[in-house]
Amino acid sequence: MLHRFVYGFLLVALLGMPWPVIAVWQGPADQHAKLALVSEQDALVAGKTLWLGIQFDLQDGWHTYWSNPGDSGEAPRIEWQLPPGFQADEIHWPYPERLPVPPFMDYGYAHEVLLPVSLTVPSNLKDVDSMRLAARVNYLVCREVCIPGKKQVELSLPVRKDSGPSAAREQFEATRRRLPKPVPHDWKVSAASAGGEFVLTVKAGHSLEAPQFFPLEEEQIENAAPQEAKRISGGVRLHLKKSKHLTKPPTRLRGVVVTGVDKAYLVDVAVSQSRPEGSM
Amino acid sequence: MHRKLWCRFAVVLVLSSTMLAVKVGESAPNFQATDSNGQAHQLSKYHGKFVVLEWHNNGCPYTQKHYESGNMQHLQKEWTGKGVVWFTVISSAPGQQGYVTAAQENEYLKNMKASPTAALLDPQGEVGKLYSAKTTPHMFIINPDGALIYDGAIDDKPTTEESDIASAKNYVSQALEEATAGKSVSVPTSRPYGCSVKYVH
Repeated sequence: MLHRFVYGFLLVALLGMPWPVIAVWQGPADQHAKLALVSEQDALVAGKTLWLGIQFDLQDGWHTYWSNPGDSGEAPRIEWQLPPGFQADEIHWPYPERLPVPPFMDYGYAHEVLLPVSLTVPSNLKDVDSMRLAARVNYLVCREVCIPGKKQVELSLPVRKDSGPSAAREQFEATRRRLPKPVPHDWKVSAASAGGEFVLTVKAGHSLEAPQFFPLEEEQIENAAPQEAKRISGGVRLHLKKSKHLTKPPTRLRGVVVTGVDKAYLVDVAVSQSRPEGSM
Repeated sequence: MHRKLWCRFAVVLVLSSTMLAVKVGESAPNFQATDSNGQAHQLSKYHGKFVVLEWHNNGCPYTQKHYESGNMQHLQKEWTGKGVVWFTVISSAPGQQGYVTAAQENEYLKNMKASPTAALLDPQGEVGKLYSAKTTPHMFIINPDGALIYDGAIDDKPTTEESDIASAKNYVSQALEEATAGKSVSVPTSRPYGCSVKYVH
């Protein structure tokens, strides 16, 4: 009977304590990933768009996921908590790396990644010293096992007439180089459906290093299948094995083609039907 | 003329050995596996019944979502009660997350009040690789004629949140309801979500 009284007393005592206004969720995922909300500039300027980003600092061996996580895993999601008039757009995903999970394949990031988001700042900003920007990030970190995380991150920025670069500016610039660019005007990209594979032809006017294709749509290609690259004059032809889950032939092939460090291109082409090459 | 024929034959041989992954609509490959009570099961013995294969890893947060909520147990009870054969399959390699001995699995089933027809122990990953099971959970449904009619996620909310279950569309129930009513399965495939199956390698 006494122990019930003690527990009751402790509960009441705990509830009465002055907890911080913003509760920081400390879960096991925190041991393997440090998250932070950062901004490219050091202040909010009325009416001026600002780049924010969710920074992931991952423990060695641990990884998180791209917008298309691949055969397993889950892409991070951000739930913004912003003052009235502010609006954040979608995550601008840097190109990922291949994460083998034999016999399958995932897509994501190891060591560290910054996921940038463009923030619209209202032109009628309140005249206050600082404003609080916050978000809840739902994410998954894995090594041999996976741990889901939910992290509350926040940032207070002063409101000023002008802003300068923040300490995170360099990271934003490096990340920008990893964002997929539109295909150069003089390139010719085409895709064909050929039996059990898609053939993606990229003509750049010069030879290309063996490219990697990262599909933006889930369940179109076999993520783990080797992507055979054949040199053609002025470019390359990539053979992408179709997913066994394809029930209807897709009309478009969308993905990121990476031809080297910081050389990622957004590809979005119609798929034409053609006879398999070299058919006997 | 003969060379072309041999060439074609050789290609077919190579292709058929690499294209092991079964597609929806095709005949589900027969397997043999031992359950947590030491009993052997063969898929072919269940011809004439609907069979559900549920890939499982008790340490994976996505599996835990469906077990801690009671969702998976509810499905097992509902559908085995209607004559469906339900196999929980564990393809985790020894030493990997999800690997269980027969005794451990029986303890888990008892604690979780789970009621699959049987829990198949597949530590070498033979059944898993035969079906290309990617995640836990990953669900497959085979119809009484032995055809694969569903291959994919348990539902349409690919998260670890228990609160997502109530509003999710359960693809397994939907497929079984349609197929048992003689209708075609409206969603035969979906991206399975979860942790990767911890195969031996």
